Amino acid sequence: MVSEATAGSKLSQTRRPGTTEKPSPEFVPAESVPARVVLAMQGVTKSYPNGRVALRGVDLTIPEGDFVFLVGPSGAGKSTVIKLLIRDELPTKGVVLLDGRDLGKLKRREVPKIRRKIGVVFQDFKLLPNKTVRDNVGFALEVTGARRRVIDTAVDRVLRVVGLTGQADQLPGQLSGGEQQRTAIARALVHNPRLFIADEPTGNLDPLIGWEIIQLLLRINELGVTVLMATHNAEVVTAVRKRVVALENGRIVRDQADAAYHRED
Amino acid sequence: MFAFIAFSVRRGWRGFWGNGLTSLAATATTVLMLLLLSGVLILLTGLNSTLDYVQQEAPVVALLKDSATQGEIDTLQASLQAMPQVSQVTFVSKDQAYRDWIARYPDTADVINSSPNNPRPFARLQIYLRDPKDNLDVAAFVKVQPAVYEPINNQQTVDQMITLIGVFRAGGTVILVVVGLIVLFIIVNTIRLAVVARADEIEIMRLVGASDAFIRWPFIFEGVLLGLIGAAITIGLLLLAQGPIAGFLSQYFEVLPVAASATAGRDIALVVLGTGVGIGAVGSYISVRSFLIR
Repeated sequence: MVSEATAGSKLSQTRRPGTTEKPSPEFVPAESVPARVVLAMQGVTKSYPNGRVALRGVDLTIPEGDFVFLVGPSGAGKSTVIKLLIRDELPTKGVVLLDGRDLGKLKRREVPKIRRKIGVVFQDFKLLPNKTVRDNVGFALEVTGARRRVIDTAVDRVLRVVGLTGQADQLPGQLSGGEQQRTAIARALVHNPRLFIADEPTGNLDPLIGWEIIQLLLRINELGVTVLMATHNAEVVTAVRKRVVALENGRIVRDQADAAYHRED
Repeated sequence: MFAFIAFSVRRGWRGFWGNGLTSLAATATTVLMLLLLSGVLILLTGLNSTLDYVQQEAPVVALLKDSATQGEIDTLQASLQAMPQVSQVTFVSKDQAYRDWIARYPDTADVINSSPNNPRPFARLQIYLRDPKDNLDVAAFVKVQPAVYEPINNQQTVDQMITLIGVFRAGGTVILVVVGLIVLFIIVNTIRLAVVARADEIEIMRLVGASDAFIRWPFIFEGVLLGLIGAAITIGLLLLAQGPIAGFLSQYFEVLPVAASATAGRDIALVVLGTGVGIGAVGSYISVRSFLIR
C-alpha cells in the first residue's frame, strides 16, 4: 500500500518530459533525474471492424506521479484510450506501454497481473449490490487468491484512505453516491496500482460531492499514485490546474501542463 | 491454492442454489439422460451376461426321450462321435441333469419335488463342435434321431445374441450421443444464464485482475454440482427400481443371474456418476469461455 513516506520521495522525482512548463525551484529538474514513465502510447491508432476510427496516431507519455485530465467531446476517443490501457482492446497500430511492458505482446495469463497494476473507477461505480463495502473492496484481492489476513489488512488501510471505515459493513444501497464512488476508489486502490484511471468519476454526483471525490483523487495522487481522469467537468479541470490532454476526433489536440478547460474541449 | 478452491467451490455452490429454478430444470434433464444411459447399459449388461451363460453350454445339446434305451443312446453317441464336424460328445444322465439343474437353480427344488409327476430335466448328449459354424448341420442330424426328444442349438442362440447385442450397442450409442448433445446444450444454456446474470461481477473480476481460472472455476464447480446431483438422483431412482428391473430382466431373458450382479450395479453407478459430472463440467467450460479475457 502507498505510504506517505515513500510517496513523498516518489513525488520529488516526478517531472514530465516534453512539456512546455518552466522548471520551478521546488522541483528537481527533469534532465538530472529522469522520471519513470508509467504509461506511454506511441503512434496508437484504433479502428473497429465497422470502419470507425476511434484513435489516430496518438502519442502520450505519463510519468510517475502525474495527474492528467483527459478531456474532449463525446466520441473523441477517451473511452478507447481507457480500454486500451486496461487491455480490454488492442491497438490496430502503435504500442501501448504500461510500466515498460507492451500490452499488445502480453501473454494471456499475464493480462490479469498487468490489470492489477491499474486501478479503475467508473461513472456508474460498478459495485456488487449484495456485498458490503468491506467485501466489495476485498473482492479485488479475493479474486487474485490473496489470503484472508492480507485482504483484511489491505482493506482496512484503503478504507481509512477514502474515509469509509465507519461504513465498512454497509451495503452499497445504503450509501450515498459519493460514498459509493469512494468505495469504488478504495477497491481500485487495494492492489497498490501504478496507474489510477477514473472515467467520469463525478458524472453521477452532485457538484459538492463531485468535489469531494476530486479532493480524494488529488490526495491519492499526492500519495504517489499516477492518476488519469477522463472528464467533461470544466469547472474541476479549470480549478485544479493540472496537466490537460484534449482529444478530438481521435487525435490529441492539446497537451498542456497546469491548464484550464477550454471551451472547445 | 486452498483459497482458490474454497473461493470456487463457495461461489459455485451459491450459484447453483441462487438460480434454483434453472438449476432444477437442468438437473431434471440430466437425470432423464442418465436414466436413458442406465437403461441402455442395463439392457446391454443383461444381454452380455445371457451370452456368457449360453456360451458356457455345449454348442448343440440333444435332449433324450425318457423312453430311449441305453443301447439307442450309445449308438447315437457313437454315430455323432464319428461325424467329422464333432469334436466330443458327452452323456449326461437324467439324474445328473437334475442335480445340475438344482445346483444352478436351488430355489426350484421345492417346486420340482412337490409332486412325483412334475417333469424333470431330460438326459442329454452334449455335442461339442470343431467349428461352431457347423451347428445347423449337426442340429438337423440330431433332430431326426428316434432317441432324441428335441435338439437345443445353443450356438444359434449365441450367434443371434451377438447380432442383437451389436444392434443394441450401435443403436444405444447413437441415442446416447444425441441425447447427450441435447443435455450438453441445455446445461451450456443454464450455466450461460448464470454467467449472464453475473456479467457485472465477471466484468469487475476482469477489471481488478482476476485470472481466467478464478472466473471460470466457480462455474465449472456449479456444473459439476449439477451433474453430481443429477447422478445421485438417477442412482437413487435405479436403487429404488432395482427389484422390478431385475424381475423384468430375468423374465425377459429367461436367465436368472443377470441384473442382480453387484459389480454390474456398481459399474453402472460409476458410469452414471462420471457422465453426469463430466457433462456438467464440459457444459460449464463451454458456456463461460466467451466471457474470459479476449
